[in-house]
Amino acid sequence: MVAYVAQRLAGLAFVFILVSIVAFLLMHATPGGPSDEPNMPLPPAAKENILRKCGLDQPLHIQYINYMANALRGDFGYSFSSPTETVAQVIGRTWPISITLGGITVVVALGSGILLGILAAIQQNSILDYVVTFIATLGLTVPNFVIALWLILVFAVELRWLPLGGWGDDWRQIIMPMIALGLGPMGIATRYTRASLVDVFTADYIRTARAKGLAERMVVMRHAIKNALIPIITVLGPRIPDLITGTIFVETMFRVPGLGKFFVESVLDRDYPMIMALMLLIAVLWGLVYLITDLLYTVIDPRVKLT
Amino acid sequence: MDQDTRSRLTRRAFLRAAAIGVGSAALAACGGGGATAPTAPPATIPPPTTAPTLAPVQPTPPPTAAPAPTAAPASAVTNSLGVTLPANAAPLEQQAFVVYFDITADFTSPNQMETIYKSGGFGSITNLTGDTLVRLNKDFQVQPAAALSWSSDETGKVWTFNLDPNLVWSDGTPVTAEDFVATFRYAADPTHAWDFAWYYSAPGAIKNWDKCVAGELPLDQLGVTAKDKHTLVIESETPAPFLPAKLVYSEVLSAAKLKEFGSGLYTADPAKTISCGPYLLKEFKPGERVVFEINPTYKGTNRPRIERVIQIAARPEAMFAGYQAGEVDRVTGEQLQTADNEIIARDPELSRQVRLTAADFRTDYLFFDCQNPPFNDVRVRQAFSHIIDRDTLIKSIITPTQGIPAYSFLMPGFPASNSEGLKNIQRYDPERGRALLKEAGYEGGKGFPKLTLWLRNEPQIRQALAAAIAAEITQEYGIEVEVSNKEFKTFMDALNAKPTQIQFGMVSYGIDFLDPSNMLGVWLSTGRHNWFNKTYDEMVLKAAEMTDQEARIKIFQDAERLLCEEAPAVFIYHRTVADIYKPYVVGECFEPNIAGFAGLQWPGFTSMSDSLQTLYISNEVTKYRKGTPR
Amino acid sequence: MSAIVSDKAVTAVDPIISRPPSNLWRDAAIRFSKNKLAMGALIVVGVLVFIGIFADVLAPQPNFARPIDARKFPGEAGYILGTDDVGRDMLKRLIHGVRTSLIVGISVQAIALVIGATLGLGAGFLGGWVDFFVMRIVELFTAIPQLLFALFLISIFGGGLFNVILAIALIGWVDICRLTRAQLFSLREKEFIEAARALGIPPFQIAWRHLLPNALTPLIIAVTLGVPTAIFTEAGLSFLGLGINEPTASLGKMVGASFAYIRVYWHMGLLPTLLIALIMLSFSFVGDGLRDALDPRLRK
Repeated sequence: MVAYVAQRLAGLAFVFILVSIVAFLLMHATPGGPSDEPNMPLPPAAKENILRKCGLDQPLHIQYINYMANALRGDFGYSFSSPTETVAQVIGRTWPISITLGGITVVVALGSGILLGILAAIQQNSILDYVVTFIATLGLTVPNFVIALWLILVFAVELRWLPLGGWGDDWRQIIMPMIALGLGPMGIATRYTRASLVDVFTADYIRTARAKGLAERMVVMRHAIKNALIPIITVLGPRIPDLITGTIFVETMFRVPGLGKFFVESVLDRDYPMIMALMLLIAVLWGLVYLITDLLYTVIDPRVKLT
Repeated sequence: MDQDTRSRLTRRAFLRAAAIGVGSAALAACGGGGATAPTAPPATIPPPTTAPTLAPVQPTPPPTAAPAPTAAPASAVTNSLGVTLPANAAPLEQQAFVVYFDITADFTSPNQMETIYKSGGFGSITNLTGDTLVRLNKDFQVQPAAALSWSSDETGKVWTFNLDPNLVWSDGTPVTAEDFVATFRYAADPTHAWDFAWYYSAPGAIKNWDKCVAGELPLDQLGVTAKDKHTLVIESETPAPFLPAKLVYSEVLSAAKLKEFGSGLYTADPAKTISCGPYLLKEFKPGERVVFEINPTYKGTNRPRIERVIQIAARPEAMFAGYQAGEVDRVTGEQLQTADNEIIARDPELSRQVRLTAADFRTDYLFFDCQNPPFNDVRVRQAFSHIIDRDTLIKSIITPTQGIPAYSFLMPGFPASNSEGLKNIQRYDPERGRALLKEAGYEGGKGFPKLTLWLRNEPQIRQALAAAIAAEITQEYGIEVEVSNKEFKTFMDALNAKPTQIQFGMVSYGIDFLDPSNMLGVWLSTGRHNWFNKTYDEMVLKAAEMTDQEARIKIFQDAERLLCEEAPAVFIYHRTVADIYKPYVVGECFEPNIAGFAGLQWPGFTSMSDSLQTLYISNEVTKYRKGTPR
Repeated sequence: MSAIVSDKAVTAVDPIISRPPSNLWRDAAIRFSKNKLAMGALIVVGVLVFIGIFADVLAPQPNFARPIDARKFPGEAGYILGTDDVGRDMLKRLIHGVRTSLIVGISVQAIALVIGATLGLGAGFLGGWVDFFVMRIVELFTAIPQLLFALFLISIFGGGLFNVILAIALIGWVDICRLTRAQLFSLREKEFIEAARALGIPPFQIAWRHLLPNALTPLIIAVTLGVPTAIFTEAGLSFLGLGINEPTASLGKMVGASFAYIRVYWHMGLLPTLLIALIMLSFSFVGDGLRDALDPRLRK
């Protein structure tokens, strides 16, 4: 086991390098750069000044080597968009907020999704089942900006029960973003849970257990859930870093000062240091999540051998 | 009053304003003296050339604070600078102006000499911690600010500015000409890489600006020098009577702080920054909050009434909802969505809160790659200029409060604008267009390549506009047109590439300073589009240097006529920006200006404008706000 | 647990059944046809596909715009479902939008399925170095921001329908791959697989005939869930000019465009959303029915 984990971590380091190269090439191959020219074009000399200031006047491989040398020492450079802060400071400031919002949403959304899925599976093909499926589908098809705006209009503007947005000074500020963020994952969790459980329920040994009586159903439930957990974890695992890194839309709509907006904005602004840092962060985060979910498979189903 | 009447009023007001605009051009373009002897600039606004009978564009006049005291025995409020507010002012703790800024916009510094484009996007309030050399009033006339008076020599290339000796920094040190010299040098400094570095190039370039920016000359060669402690000398490369108007972008930085910190970024840190302007920076959290508080040590002439300016980051789609919930005092027209405007239009109460401005005289237009087929043929371009049914587009898609038809580049109210005279050149006339296309060999659209109309990251309303125009081109001319709303940088990169990569696009331009050479300069051969016309260049550059107002306006108008006829652009509409303000935000700055607009004019609530001196919160605020704003 | 190894085994183990040996797929088809909900959903899918294929006949000239008719509500001015903000008939736009969105959704998922299932099968079943490399590729693709990848891809190859589908699918195969791999981890150690191995059945046949059908459930869900995701991703990319250009209609773009109007012109957002939900629900129920039908353990 230890050997396996060590092997995976080594693989992660390999991916780290790979991701950095791919990210670097992608960024520089995309048109546009850090200078804005919405009005008149900058004289070429002025544009060069900007490129030089951002360290972009060097040949690509030199830029890459400099970047990696600094990154390995923990220096990820200054964000082009906020030159008074290093990338590390920006991420350090915003990530805890995204984690808090994301973490709470994960627990509530996935938890309630799994519960609903269990309910629906037990009462398979009943009215309850259809209603739950419908709600889950709604959560997935109604775009979260519609949900967000509707929440704001109803609860903040009309009823004035909840604050419009912001973070940190009112516990109620988490409610609307959590709902807007969590409805989709809840829908996913419900669908997968229900389907996996139904799958397991129809297996012969379950039928046998059922025939034997109610007490057996508890044993069966545990069995069923354990078996259903594998696909559930596979899919839901990555939803967690998804939620933790935040979504730009919900965060900006409710003014949660988290990390989410940088994922889109840094690309649109061509903020290269930020893009690189975020990609490396994601690679590490997801690599760890994948590792943990793989390890969890062995816990749930002892027959699973990872190697 | 219904929407149609309002739009008719608008148009009438504009047409009258065009005439006024010509007159005001004379005032706007020359804030200083003549070319020969030093004369003092007008300290008061000269009367307009026609009687001010312009109807306001709202159904009812906004509740401006007429200084006629009622019987209410309200004791006059005096703010921390000692400015006495009018009798109907709210108590001091309510004198806070709360607005939104775009949460996704970059906000590097609130000082324009540090950055222009990364300052919080549309609707943000910036440039309050330093005075500028000159400022504008609501009629866009250049007024003294940090410079109390100025004059030029006979050549028109050397300008002397007499600075206000009272200005001090908030740490007690006096503001001197050295600070301004350091500011301009910093702006030209290659290591600073100012994103607005094109601005002090031609037309009206500061001497040696381009060479300093390119690093070819040391910064002490820049044509900005201090003759003595309170006298600043600015030299230009060519005679430029509009240089004072251009100098509205000169928010002074502290020479000492620039030296201490090595860059102007100290202006973004409340702990490090010092201010010689009307406000102090109290909080600066981009993406969250930016707060200014009145500067009790301010000794300049732009004495404000408002005590605090609070800005909250929000997403434009949610801003109107926040306004309705009472969180902010205004939402600007650029921040409002189409549906928001519809809701406002249907609600009499909300409609009354709308205040119209010309904002930055922004004109939207189609443009072409004039160097390559098919648009290198002027007949094809002219054919396209006859396909825009502006009246229907404005009525149905833009909606009449959001814009007026544009048949030429300069919006009514802008100096030298000539909308009436040029109206016929690019008129809606698909018949003529078809004839022109046939002449050019593309009868019925046969043989015409399929086009893609590039948009620059436009919001939905202009995407709809472009889609409608594209559909009309297809339906009337038989030419297939797709519309692609490009991401901002992809678009600009393609546009500015040499050679340009955009064959057919739609974009807008708004003013940088109040002179025709600014707007018309977009179309110079050195400008941003690839139309090269020597006659046009000569006309514009010659007129830019002239001091005879009437003569230069005539030449500018001829140049604009050439622009319309050669059609490197097809003008679509001028944007009128309908801001919405709570009724308790009042002040003389909201009274109708010379063109009949009764809103907060460009550049808004900043040191560049004298609106600071009159905007305040009336005591009606208690009906709306719960508690005091944080 | 009466695991099934091969058709012959059924008749051998369970003497009560005396039917002739049946085919997995034919059994599945019969079972599916008995599932009323699934059949209903299949009809809906059929109708949608029909609409998509014959969109040009059903709704000619969907891009014809009359600006003067912009933003009409359903029923106004002779437009059954109203008009959009450019003055185009909503009904026609929706019909063509269904076509575009179906093409996008199905193509993306098909490509993602092929890539993801193949790689996942390989990684899950063969393990070892194959698993190592596949997982590293998965991690790489996860880390690349989809926006950046799309920007890059489209700046090189241009926009248009095909490239958008590629841009979305090349990031979207990851979930399917991991799901397949995970299912395989748990399945490959099961007794019936050991038995198959013991019988000498070649690995590919094991994977194809025995592992894949058992791994199907989460795959089917992923595919059906992926359809609206693909539709919305396409809309998001189109908004940045990276996807499908106007005037081509797509349901996702229509929903996105409706946001600016939603507080007044609700029909511009509601109608395409309903259609997307319909697509998703019908695909989901068909998927559920498929899974029920293909489940070998239900064989009677």
